[in-house]
Amino acid sequence: MVDTLFSGLIHGSVYAIAAVGMSLIFGVTNVANFAQGSIVAVGMMIAWWLGTALGWGIVPTLAVVIIVTAALGFVMNFFVISPLEGRKPIAALLATIGVGQVLDNSLQLIFGTQTRQFPELLPTHNLQLGGLRFGTSDIVSIIVTVFLMFALWSFLKFGKTGQAIRATSQDPEAARQMGIPVRSIRNISFVIGAVLAGIAGVFVGLSNGNINPTNGGSIGMTAFVAATIGGLGSIPGAVVGGLVLGVVEALGVSWLGDGAHDFITFGALLLILIIRPQGLLFNSSSAVRSEPMTGTFLENSRSIELPRWVNWLLAGLAILLPFVANNALAGAGTQVAIYSIAAVGLTLISGSAGQTILGMAGPFATGAYTSAILVTQFGWSFWAGLLMGGLVAAITASILTFPVWKLSGHYVAIATIGVGAVTVAIIRLWEPVTHGSLGIQGIPVPQIFGAALDTQQKLLLLDVIILLIALWAVSRIHKSHLGHVFAAVGADQDAAEALGIRSNAYKALAYAIAAFFAGLAGALLAHQYTYIDPTIFNSAMSTLILTIIVLGGMNSPLGAVIGSALLIGLPEVLRFASTWRGIVYGILLIIIILFRPQGLWSRSVAQAKIGKNDDKATENIQEDAQTVAEEVEA
Amino acid sequence: MSLINAHIRTSKIWKTAGKLVVATAAAVAIFTTSACSFGLGGDNTQSSSASDTVNIAAIYPETGQYAEYGKLFKRGWELALDEVNADGGVQGKKLGIKYYDTQSDAKQDAAVAPKIVSDNSVIAVVGDYSSSASAAASPTFNQAKLVHYGFNNSATNFTDTGEYVWTPQITQATYQKLNADTVAKTAKKISVVYIENDWGKEAYNEFKEEAQKQGIDIAYESSYLADSTDLSPILIKARDAQPDAIVNIGYGPDGALVLNTLRNKLAWDGSFFGGQETSEFLNNAGKNAEGTIITGSFSATGVKTDEQKKFVEAFNKKYGYDPGNFEVTAYQAIKDLAYGANKTSATREGIQKALQTVTDFPLYQGNGGTFKFNQKTRRADNIEPILLIVKDGKFVRYDE
Repeated sequence: MVDTLFSGLIHGSVYAIAAVGMSLIFGVTNVANFAQGSIVAVGMMIAWWLGTALGWGIVPTLAVVIIVTAALGFVMNFFVISPLEGRKPIAALLATIGVGQVLDNSLQLIFGTQTRQFPELLPTHNLQLGGLRFGTSDIVSIIVTVFLMFALWSFLKFGKTGQAIRATSQDPEAARQMGIPVRSIRNISFVIGAVLAGIAGVFVGLSNGNINPTNGGSIGMTAFVAATIGGLGSIPGAVVGGLVLGVVEALGVSWLGDGAHDFITFGALLLILIIRPQGLLFNSSSAVRSEPMTGTFLENSRSIELPRWVNWLLAGLAILLPFVANNALAGAGTQVAIYSIAAVGLTLISGSAGQTILGMAGPFATGAYTSAILVTQFGWSFWAGLLMGGLVAAITASILTFPVWKLSGHYVAIATIGVGAVTVAIIRLWEPVTHGSLGIQGIPVPQIFGAALDTQQKLLLLDVIILLIALWAVSRIHKSHLGHVFAAVGADQDAAEALGIRSNAYKALAYAIAAFFAGLAGALLAHQYTYIDPTIFNSAMSTLILTIIVLGGMNSPLGAVIGSALLIGLPEVLRFASTWRGIVYGILLIIIILFRPQGLWSRSVAQAKIGKNDDKATENIQEDAQTVAEEVEA
Repeated sequence: MSLINAHIRTSKIWKTAGKLVVATAAAVAIFTTSACSFGLGGDNTQSSSASDTVNIAAIYPETGQYAEYGKLFKRGWELALDEVNADGGVQGKKLGIKYYDTQSDAKQDAAVAPKIVSDNSVIAVVGDYSSSASAAASPTFNQAKLVHYGFNNSATNFTDTGEYVWTPQITQATYQKLNADTVAKTAKKISVVYIENDWGKEAYNEFKEEAQKQGIDIAYESSYLADSTDLSPILIKARDAQPDAIVNIGYGPDGALVLNTLRNKLAWDGSFFGGQETSEFLNNAGKNAEGTIITGSFSATGVKTDEQKKFVEAFNKKYGYDPGNFEVTAYQAIKDLAYGANKTSATREGIQKALQTVTDFPLYQGNGGTFKFNQKTRRADNIEPILLIVKDGKFVRYDE
């Protein structure tokens, strides 16, 4: 018991050091940096190379890691993040996902694919307490964490640059008017954040021992959870959050076994967010106050609308596609269609109602499992299974997410990561029903009037028809009174509340609709693959589904199709790039988002720059007038 | 009022025209890109009879988190391919391998499978690394009557998808029986940790069944997730149960993590059964690996037949190290399919017929010799698992 507690503290101190950088970047730049974990991996791999190939000691190794990650932080901000300033922060989030892709794949290309041992830059097992050995490395790691915490705190509190950083994070416009060079301050923040990640990489390597160039993703995720538990933007909070997470995981895993690891990690995240919505160490002066992921006054975008006959024409062409497509196109087409269905509902909750959702793998998996179980074990028909898949996904997602809506801003987005992960963890643990990790085998292909859909073309036809229904339904909702309420909630929650709109109830409803379609998509996928297990529904799937609508255009149902076609189609088209495929994919993602931050299938309506865009503004007014006129006519 | 309406109407016409341009452009773009990259129209690509090369499609993780295994597979395939073609190919035709990187991701397997099916030069498919990725592609291959040879997919129900789905993998029932019997010889009370996925779960169920038959007391058991970085919480409990031995069922990297945590962090020096027959395991566990016993299917230093020795020598010459389990199964997959095709015909039907009728496929694993398929389960019938022990940083055969 004492051993367990102590090992939890040691592991928690590693979470803490990774979380500090994460929290800082989040707090001062208002960017949810999904590449932070990858930068940790960069530091880790460089230290591995210096330590093993060149036999360097800890001090010169740390120095080089600091220089390289500092340069990386600068380059990343200069070329990718700062051009997106003033755009919706979700664009920057997507760009960081692209950067993470590039970094992860580059590390693998440079350093090779195998798991290896991190060099003993410091002794790792030379001390003992009870039945547990630890090392100088652990002590140094804790000292470095505490030192960094105080250094950062005093820098932000008393240093001139530090104060400028805080001013910039609170209100960039006001800071600029006070003569603060906002651009260089942003650069400095990113450089500091990246350096912290690099230093963390060295200690993560020392502590984990087993390292792999692709570790960045999971390190980033745990750092994110730790930083959130502590209170985003709070540096001491990140340290406390890391330690708490380490101990909770150790005790929970000791009690339930490591098979429940995800359940414990993300369950703890949800629990803490519900009990203390702003994290453990939230205090109004240090934590993030603006809500980066829901930023409302920065910019707005509208879906590009097509005339009705063009929509009919496109629908006709889509229906025609399965009849002319060869196997390869039809096969890729089924995946594009299924992921479009999964993403299209997000245009309501994330697009209109302005709430980023990062856990769509949860309802997707629920739909897949519901239909698979009902059809294989209870002999239901495909159609009944499909429909139930959607319904059960919507209902369970609503129940699990119910306590989350009282949170605000990006805490909701992070909580949805937790809900998604917990859903899949429950599926893995609930063996009597779901077969756990063994998965469900032999799910029959869809049957329609007794005929099995056993070719790619037939499956594509089914997927396209359901996609068209989904597009039609979601577009109708967008245009309905309900859709306008969603938009009102997204545009200005306070104003909406003042009008008597219970914004949280409407967000929950929008999310339930999105979950319904994700459930349908999951059921379709299960019946196409004929085999499912929990590893299919990972966090990469959640990220992909969100990325689809960000790329396509947050408000645009048709954008979901375009985003899906690009994100699923690109890896197939890029096969010529061989091992460079992942890197090229990441770079293209970044380029697209730099050129069209509002998404491919929507146009930006910059409210702050209305003077410059008079034409567009007039157009909007005309459009509204037109709608009113039409309503009057009818 | 009418003025405003007229104005709205004119602007509407212009807007419609503008939107039409956008829409047409988008539609044209979507259709040309898809047409360019996938090709519209039927599937009458080049006919195989006209060409002098037949191909085996390999679906495998060239990039992504499983890329290390993809690299090992590819070495085995390339060596086998060289040898097959040096021996005159298959039925007088040159054999080729068409590589498809899937990252062992189910979605990419599902997307790429139809493309493979419509390539008439492909006579069989090998791969993927994980069962979930393989299983997402199997129905497509089976429906097209193209043999899916899942040489790395040991899950019991892997071949249930249909009559064209085969695997030469020894079932876990066979493996784990030997494993448990071996453990039972030296230990009466054990702790077990195993990897939480379809393979680990099934392997542990088989192990547990046999261990209980042998009267072993399993004092502690826990699974662990493949990406967990700190296994101390479960290993402290495994240690504190005071077992005679600790058994690990998993892969190389996690096996090394379990072992290193036990030896370095928890100061436990009892006997250990586990790890994986890969250089990755040996490199990561280092000195801690010494004396570890595992149930495997291949040992480069313990090979018996001439064919096996020739393979180890050729592999070592080409790559500079002794092949492990992944390299040999990949190598054997290509050799077996080529052997079968030479006995029947170098076509899709020929491969299927070969797997159904040929009874002497060359075997490089285990004790060498030949093997055949059980026509009911479509799995290899008579491959014997062998015991391995780590001595001086190398796996050698463990024969008591």
